[in-house]
Amino acid sequence: MKRNIPSDNPSSGPVDQAHTVFDASAAQFMAQHGEDTFTGASGVLFEQAMAQTRMAICLCDPNLEDMPIVFANRAFRHLTGYDEQEIVGRNCRFLQGPKTDQTVLKRIRTALANEDVLVVELLNYRKDGEPFWNALHLGPIYNAEGKLIYFLGSQWDVSDVRAARADERHARELARELSHRMKNMFAVIGGIVNFTGRVRGIEAEAREINDRIQALGRAYETTLDDSHRGTVEVGQAIRAVLAPYDPDGTRIRFEGNGLRSDFASVSVLGLSLHELAVNAIKHGALGTDSGSVTIAWKRNGSTASPAIRIDWIEHGVGPQANAKQLVSNDGIVDRMLDMARGGIVREWHSDGLRAKLNIPLREHAE
Amino acid sequence: MTELRGSASEPCRVLVLDDEPLILLDLEFAVEDAGCTPLTALDLVEALAIVQNNAISAAILDVSLGRGQTCEQVARTLAAMGVPYVLHTGDLDRMDEAVRNLGGTLVPKPTPAAVVVARALEPLAIRHV
Repeated sequence: MKRNIPSDNPSSGPVDQAHTVFDASAAQFMAQHGEDTFTGASGVLFEQAMAQTRMAICLCDPNLEDMPIVFANRAFRHLTGYDEQEIVGRNCRFLQGPKTDQTVLKRIRTALANEDVLVVELLNYRKDGEPFWNALHLGPIYNAEGKLIYFLGSQWDVSDVRAARADERHARELARELSHRMKNMFAVIGGIVNFTGRVRGIEAEAREINDRIQALGRAYETTLDDSHRGTVEVGQAIRAVLAPYDPDGTRIRFEGNGLRSDFASVSVLGLSLHELAVNAIKHGALGTDSGSVTIAWKRNGSTASPAIRIDWIEHGVGPQANAKQLVSNDGIVDRMLDMARGGIVREWHSDGLRAKLNIPLREHAE
Repeated sequence: MTELRGSASEPCRVLVLDDEPLILLDLEFAVEDAGCTPLTALDLVEALAIVQNNAISAAILDVSLGRGQTCEQVARTLAAMGVPYVLHTGDLDRMDEAVRNLGGTLVPKPTPAAVVVARALEPLAIRHV
């Protein structure tokens, strides 16, 4: 089935050209190339598909001198700004310009020579000189006898995608730089606290202060990766805070999901867990050879007042150690959690401390 | 605290390199606390001079020294001399591939100074067992 519709006549078609059914250039191409190329119903499909697709498509004939374009659909003309008579008969290189990457062009030439399929991004230029990033897919088309008859090129303007990618990369680099600076700043603060303690003769107190500051730093670190969200993944913060107390990763077990909270809650939680870990090293499960700790976190409470519930469960501790742990508790954890409108309940079981921590969950940063 | 010595009579000298004076001060104290003699350097030039003029037992090297400099040259020199060192850095990911490949022990910042020093002295303790 052939249609001899005269070449592009904008006034004859609906306004939304991308969705008109027939593309005159497709019909014309078919008229010139005959049914042997596009037989039967597939010919109609070709016309309709070429007209409707928003993907710019062209066919080049490698059997003609300089591999000219023999067909370009409406989307191709729309993308490049050229009319059909300015496209057909020319080699694709008229889309290149001063900033087109030569190494990419070399890859294209190699792919054409080897009859390979290739997907590349290259800088092309519209008729008005405006550059755009073209995601070019090219590949060979063979006839029924296996003879190479065309190269297909499909083009998609990915300028926006690339700009978004660049923005994202920039944001990532910035977050990384911030993270680096913050770690350095916490290291400097730690240094100041330490040497102040030393010259004042209060090393132990300074160490206690510094350990808390560093625990806070580790909890904070996790916020930088997705600072735009304004919330922290609770489990990530817990792992970061407790990492130094289990250098081999064999003593502390983590059980929880991707629960998120605002940083104010996480800082108190982080510091509380730090205190529990320090106690466990002095008197509890982390101070024995075989003891271990399981930490589980989950969302708790009602829909109206959600909370984070953390279970701290020590294993492998004798009853004697428990008594000491009770004595050593200076109440700072209770006070911190109280201040955050949460709380802690401790129970001593035969194999160690079990503490239930509770703190209001604020999922949305203010 | 047990005192570590390079040999029976020689004190154990530890090179500490960091472009941040306050961290350097903290590490200096921690090295003293461990019973060793700290030799501090704020930049590459100072560090290389110390390495050339002293018998060093161990070293703590800040990786990024500002203005695009890294401790790579010092680390190479120490590695060639068989002196153990730790790489003390705030950004393990960004660390130069070249520095990473040197094979020193990595200690992330911030780590308490006493721990950093303990990690730096670990190879010496093993050597003396």
